[in-house]
Amino acid sequence: MKFAIALYSAAHAPSSRRALRFAEAALAGGHEIVRLFFYQDGVHSASSNIVTPQDEQDIAQQWTTFISQHQLDGVVCIAAALRRGVLNEDEAARYQRPGVNLKAPWELSGLGQLHDAIQSADRLICFGGP
Amino acid sequence: MSTLHVVSHSPFSDTRLGSCLRLLGSEDALLLCGDAVYALQLQGSALTSLEDKNVFILEEDLLVRNLECPIWATGVDYPAFVELSIHYDKVNTWL
Repeated sequence: MKFAIALYSAAHAPSSRRALRFAEAALAGGHEIVRLFFYQDGVHSASSNIVTPQDEQDIAQQWTTFISQHQLDGVVCIAAALRRGVLNEDEAARYQRPGVNLKAPWELSGLGQLHDAIQSADRLICFGGP
Repeated sequence: MSTLHVVSHSPFSDTRLGSCLRLLGSEDALLLCGDAVYALQLQGSALTSLEDKNVFILEEDLLVRNLECPIWATGVDYPAFVELSIHYDKVNTWL
């Protein structure tokens, strides 16, 4: 079974952790994740500037590790990312901003990538809110 | 076409759960997770409207809130959540 997963909440929201545990369970069950799409506040998960308190789980780091380890397609909505200050090298240069906080394995791309993922997946699962 | 409705907002903070229950078809199911598991603390008709539905509850969210899974609902872990999302034709998350 092919899953497309869309995440609308930041890494400190419980729903982000739920999405990650769901994604892990999907792969462990022998299923495929065609794409992870990070939208709205979900784009914060891709920021390499997040510092999580030591007594809390670093869900943003866990996402990065999960995507790298399984060589998944972790796509961040470019419009949502720019307005929240999540920029890769190209965008930081384009808009003359001092900080780059989006690096591999994450990719900036458009909402079309969510549409495309939904077309090729059997199921779209969204996570967001609390 | 059957739908799995996923709710994570507390029924004590907004009206998502009530709206969802009005839409829930006989082939559909409800998965309560996060603060939505506080729906078990509802009283009277609000609770009885849940009891005759296909209700699943994410076990870890019961555990952290020290709530018991009632007999009319089914507790699920993440592998079971994945299986539920396959069993139903669509998954609608009340974001």
